[in-house]
Amino acid sequence: MTHFAEQALDALTKRGFSKARVQLTESEHHELAAEFGELSLLRTNHDTSISLLGIVDDKQGSVSINKCTHEALHDAVEDLWQVAQGSRPDPANDIAERQPKASFVAGAEVPDHDAMFERLSELLDHSRTQYPTLKMGGAIVTFNKRRSRFLNSNGVDFESRRGSYGMSLMFTAKDGKDTSSFNYTGAALAQLDRPLKDCANADTLMRQTTEQVRTRKVPAKFTGDLVITPESLSDFLGFLTQNISDVPMIAKTSLYHGKLGAKVASAKLSLDSRPRELIGGYAITGDGYPAEDTTLVDAGVLRSNLLSLYGARKTGLTRAATTGGCYVVEAGSTPRDALIGEVERGVLITRFSGGRPNDKGDFSGIAKNSYYIEGGEVRYPLSETMVSGNMAELLANITTVSRERVDFGFAVYPWVRATGIGIS
Amino acid sequence: MSLRDENLAAYGNRMSRYTELRLQKNTNLRISLLNGDVVANAKSADSGISARVFHDGVWGFSSRAEIDGDAITKTIDEASRNAELLAKYAPRSEIELPPARTKKESDFATKKARFSQAQMIAFLQAIDARIAERYPDLKSRSVTLADLDMEKRLYTSEGSDGYSNTTRSLIVVNMVTTNAAGQPVELRQVFGGRGQFEDVFSSPAALDDEIDALHAHLMKKREAVAPRAGVHDVILDSELAGILAHEAIGHTTEADLVREGSVAGDFLDQLVASPLVTMVDYAHTRDGETLPVPVYIDDEGVESRDAVLIENGVLKSFMHNKESSSLFGVNPTGNARAYQFFDEPLIRMRNTAILPGNDKLEDMIASIEDGYYLMWPSNGQADSTSEFMFGVTLGYEIKNGKLGRAITDTTIAGVAFDMLKTVSMVSDEMSWSCAGMCGKKQIIPVGMGGPSIKCRIHIGGQ
Repeated sequence: MTHFAEQALDALTKRGFSKARVQLTESEHHELAAEFGELSLLRTNHDTSISLLGIVDDKQGSVSINKCTHEALHDAVEDLWQVAQGSRPDPANDIAERQPKASFVAGAEVPDHDAMFERLSELLDHSRTQYPTLKMGGAIVTFNKRRSRFLNSNGVDFESRRGSYGMSLMFTAKDGKDTSSFNYTGAALAQLDRPLKDCANADTLMRQTTEQVRTRKVPAKFTGDLVITPESLSDFLGFLTQNISDVPMIAKTSLYHGKLGAKVASAKLSLDSRPRELIGGYAITGDGYPAEDTTLVDAGVLRSNLLSLYGARKTGLTRAATTGGCYVVEAGSTPRDALIGEVERGVLITRFSGGRPNDKGDFSGIAKNSYYIEGGEVRYPLSETMVSGNMAELLANITTVSRERVDFGFAVYPWVRATGIGIS
Repeated sequence: MSLRDENLAAYGNRMSRYTELRLQKNTNLRISLLNGDVVANAKSADSGISARVFHDGVWGFSSRAEIDGDAITKTIDEASRNAELLAKYAPRSEIELPPARTKKESDFATKKARFSQAQMIAFLQAIDARIAERYPDLKSRSVTLADLDMEKRLYTSEGSDGYSNTTRSLIVVNMVTTNAAGQPVELRQVFGGRGQFEDVFSSPAALDDEIDALHAHLMKKREAVAPRAGVHDVILDSELAGILAHEAIGHTTEADLVREGSVAGDFLDQLVASPLVTMVDYAHTRDGETLPVPVYIDDEGVESRDAVLIENGVLKSFMHNKESSSLFGVNPTGNARAYQFFDEPLIRMRNTAILPGNDKLEDMIASIEDGYYLMWPSNGQADSTSEFMFGVTLGYEIKNGKLGRAITDTTIAGVAFDMLKTVSMVSDEMSWSCAGMCGKKQIIPVGMGGPSIKCRIHIGGQ
């Protein structure tokens, strides 16, 4: 594999590209899946992908294929030449500068198939015995192994080997003719060293789903609080992370344009991207730099955008040391139950099913698998409940962050309370 | 060599159990201009072989990127071993898969000379230049081309033999302006559909009228008012009726979701909608017209046929693969589809539509005293309870039977099997779209269609 990546880079420079980049990845995917509570599928996928990027006369293109033969490489290089030549010059197109050669290793090398069988069977048994009304529609355990070589014509030479397990669960409860909303959770795991029910809040969500076969609407339309659970927090952070990324920043349509160093959220919110720390992360950025754990928001102040090399050159701002994702929200000091106890009237939201917020951040959507809170207590599961507000204002109106957090392996999130939400 | 010419039947003697052997190539093209700059210019091609083997009620699956004889043999053998291993560990109650043997070919590749990447970029630049010239009031604009070709060659141990090349070419135009408060206001529209670029788009100027209309809507949206939160009389225009058919009803009537507990399982042969509502998941053709995502043979080798889901308001049937059809005691409908060569077939919709009625759109609008005309969707999501939501990016007030001010982006929601009973008018025209990707473990292109319908629905807002 190593040799082929070098051959690909050589072929690109010989073809005439002034700057070139190659990423070659060998991957193996092992999957054990259960449907409707029974093991149903054992899968093994093998793949090899090679991504080529070339710049000539400031014109850039990229081509990716999944064949590592000399004939396929030759065709891909010729194809890339046409793709890049057909583009338009942009001086912002570039590749990473020379850096020391490095190798990054994380996670297991080979899957433990016995553990995959045992842990998934254990979960299915737990679901059957503890939650007889729960229908486990899909339960999947995977092991993914990736070995990548990243080279560019400036002399970047990185190798990354990563192995990680994954868990994905989707379930519904049915009691007679009463049906719950579906619910799901998932995690990236370094090892299968504990029951899957104890990962990613799975057991709590399974129990709650069995409670949610009988639901009620909120008593009336009101303005109140959202207690955002770890399962749902990414829905409410996505507006911020998307709007500090390339396209809205380059187009200057982002609410956060020019806000570096300014307050963009409540002082209670601190948000990092930690691709190196989390097992579900990555070692090399898409541009060809070693990924670094990065603080995006510190006590409400925007500390880093999520700009790529291109975005940084286009805007004149600083390139982020992360490609994003792997978000970690700093824990607060308030116990979760005390956080809920603060809420006079609101919704404990576990899943947000809503339209994409507009550029202003306005949102509305359904609170799924969620509960009505009144007088500091969780009262009953909800149905047909719409929540609406503005994403930027919601982040500014965070009053409390819980002490407890859930580690999903690809993110770590607490419970968060925000005020001023329309609920109907 | 084209996938069409691969002799997969030659591997039939290695198939000792029920086996599907699928050779597949997905080719993606993406070009994006942001304010005139080329910010994406990428091609990708992913191809490989997969085998799926059924043994003692469980499945073994294997895939490889290589597609030579040795790799195909290894893939069949590994899928067989996986099935044997799983069956040894956890055999399931034996399910008899219904046999299927058919031979089908379909090819939606263009017969015209293919455009080069440079020609496509020039085409997009011409669209972009026309937008920049005619609408100087925009704060930002983008023009994006997204092409997908899915080429499949299938052979099953039962002798089914299929070749398909299903293509789609889309151009997405996005415009951003600012309102009086200086806040961004955005609107986007997707053009194109089934076919390759050369067959779908004739000239940049051919999109002028539709882009003019997009800009006119955006200018009205600058002055938009927030809708009033609550339940209102509305007209859902055809795009929204299509996503309603897909999300709200379609997903609940996929047999795997019925097995998982979807409420539709309790409603078979019952009235679930107004008698004005008939809904079908079409395999490939309606009234002689080839639909956006035509499927003639599915990835289990089953000849695809239409699935009538709701007929005159009564829930009639579900969409099936082989396994679910066996469990439900019905014939498979040919809904088993996989997105990539390394994916297993799942029950997926094809071309799902509410059928047109007899009303005129203008009469429908005139019939509403105080409500909304909702036109364009963004995303949507379904649920096992049939509770759905869609984002709405374009809509107008209706006051005293006339269209009024534009409304801001909002979300609509409801319980489908309740909401469909409120349908009181259905327009006599329908349209199709295939801009979306449906997500269900894998993503996959789907077609959606519908007329305009009048109903009562919950709108998010102030």
